[in-house]
Amino acid sequence: MKLTKEEIQFIDNYLVKNEVKFWDVRLELLDHIVSAIEDKIGNEGVSFNEALLEVHKGFGNQFIEYGISKKDIFKKGLYQSNFGFKKFTRKKQKELGRKYRKQNWKNVKNLFINPKFLLEYLVFIGLFLTLYKFLPKYIFLSGLMVLMIPTFISIYYSIRDKSTWKSLSFAMVLSSGMLWWTLYNLGFYIMKYYYGSLEEMPQMILVIIPCIFYPFLRGSIKVYKQVYINNKFNYNLKIQN
Amino acid sequence: MNEIGPLKIILCKNKEAVFLLLEIKIKIIPKIIMHKKIMYICIMSNSKLYKGSLNTIILKLLNENDKMYGYEITQKVKALTQGELNITEGALYPALHKLEAEGLLDVEVAKVDNRLRKYYKLTESGTKETVNKLEELAEYIKTMQALVNPKLA
Repeated sequence: MKLTKEEIQFIDNYLVKNEVKFWDVRLELLDHIVSAIEDKIGNEGVSFNEALLEVHKGFGNQFIEYGISKKDIFKKGLYQSNFGFKKFTRKKQKELGRKYRKQNWKNVKNLFINPKFLLEYLVFIGLFLTLYKFLPKYIFLSGLMVLMIPTFISIYYSIRDKSTWKSLSFAMVLSSGMLWWTLYNLGFYIMKYYYGSLEEMPQMILVIIPCIFYPFLRGSIKVYKQVYINNKFNYNLKIQN
Repeated sequence: MNEIGPLKIILCKNKEAVFLLLEIKIKIIPKIIMHKKIMYICIMSNSKLYKGSLNTIILKLLNENDKMYGYEITQKVKALTQGELNITEGALYPALHKLEAEGLLDVEVAKVDNRLRKYYKLTESGTKETVNKLEELAEYIKTMQALVNPKLA
């Protein structure tokens, strides 16, 4: 038996209430839950409520019926615990992080065999050395701006396309891009602690750090674009049947 | 029910045992628990033996079926093993996401009955890995056979 649009909407709302906020996680859970309920209703002859409650428990969401009256079991059972869904999201998050780190590393390796990038890299280093010689006081700010490029790109994409909002894949790809910015900050604070103040710090460090991170940054921007293109390709769909 | 010394031992064959303790239903993961000098032993399900082969099972199924979605995989495994092996959602999806992260699976999304469905299919490296994994599994079965039942090995 196929579920109605209203029933599917009810399940989607139930997932939102259970804090499954990322749409790309929710759509996979939604399809699984709907398929399982349709199967249970068709083959086991149970009601929609019974089937949903059973599937809810099947995901590892604990449910203690003790002290709950029979008529409230469905309503309370669905929202008593979302432990299973949280675990599901956490594990997916971990795997996505791994996937993007791997992609990033692969991109960095490919960049170093790309003559176009090598030329770009030389220009970048040259630009920072010029800044070091003629405008040293702008070097810190310039480095910071360069390392924030992934953040600017993600802001641009999120304004352009709402599908990047509340998406676990975008959240993870952005956090892997932000890693360089975080490392830059960390490195900077360690140096500041070591030298006492920004003025006493050898300005050459502020040239070296962005130059080291630049290829990684370019790699992470590429991953972000790849995720965007893949998501657009996968979720911009035409109805099959 | 057997009695060993002062302890009462209750054997439960359920995969996920539900005992009635102090009139409260408590769901217990199969293991030994003690309560008021009663030892509750729930025989370990065979799922742990299958756990190590889950990736191979998924890869093999996808190799035979071109593309499949999560629920379809669980049902196919259940049907093929006549209900003996029941892959839980909590085990299936992390395995699928891991294989996807390793580049062995690719994803395709299609709209089916008012909702989006995520299909998994093998990548080129996934197809190669399936052959390796199946060979590994065959070798493992052979070794176990030699240990457990040397006459058949």
